[in-house]
Amino acid sequence: MPDTIKTTEVRVGDRLRARSGVEMTVTRIDQQFFGNDQMVAFVEDSAQQWFKMPAPRDGEVELVSRGGE
Amino acid sequence: MPECRIISVMSVINELTGINGDPIDPSVVDGKAVLVVNVASKCGLTPQYEGLERLQQRYGDTAFTVLGVPCNQFAGQEPGTPEEISQFCSATYGATFPLTEKLEVNGQHRHPLYDWLASSPDASGEAGEVQWNFEKFLVSPGGEVVARFRPQVDPEDDQVTSAIERVLPGS
Repeated sequence: MPDTIKTTEVRVGDRLRARSGVEMTVTRIDQQFFGNDQMVAFVEDSAQQWFKMPAPRDGEVELVSRGGE
Repeated sequence: MPECRIISVMSVINELTGINGDPIDPSVVDGKAVLVVNVASKCGLTPQYEGLERLQQRYGDTAFTVLGVPCNQFAGQEPGTPEEISQFCSATYGATFPLTEKLEVNGQHRHPLYDWLASSPDASGEAGEVQWNFEKFLVSPGGEVVARFRPQVDPEDDQVTSAIERVLPGS
């Protein structure tokens, strides 16, 4: 089973895996998605890639590694 | 003396590569209004392909085309190969409008086309990043970005069709 983490516990620097399998390192957390504050959007805006992944605020996401680990 | 080129959004569009790997035929866009849309095959908004194709059928004979831009930057919802994307669009939605190769629309590596497009504001005056799949930019035949519609705006919404009709030649 993959490690998961509550959406609300994700921090900048954490590495996540989207359901599509794409991995991203969070550099920004948008507190709404399409104006819906029950959703957040994790964004990686780095030299490696730009990638956006929304998630329900009360849900969980797959964690690859914690920031700094 | 260095060569001086006048660059416009239309000249950038004219240099795009199609989904099949060949340059997009200039006749596909020259002198036309172009609705540029970043598309994805596995998104909740993917059924917008139906409305986009209806726009193509409705206005495609009158100097207009939709231009689909496959992009995998939003939750990885466009993961397929060019062949898979092309097949999906034509077989599932009967899409006849052209598709570019897969491009990046946000970030440090975004395609120059989106440097132009992203600087254009939406109806609320907000410019910047493309928010999600199926954001729409209307480019006039003269190369001006005249409207930006966020992903939730249906392709056949009155505000889209009105904007298209305003820029069609002879309107």
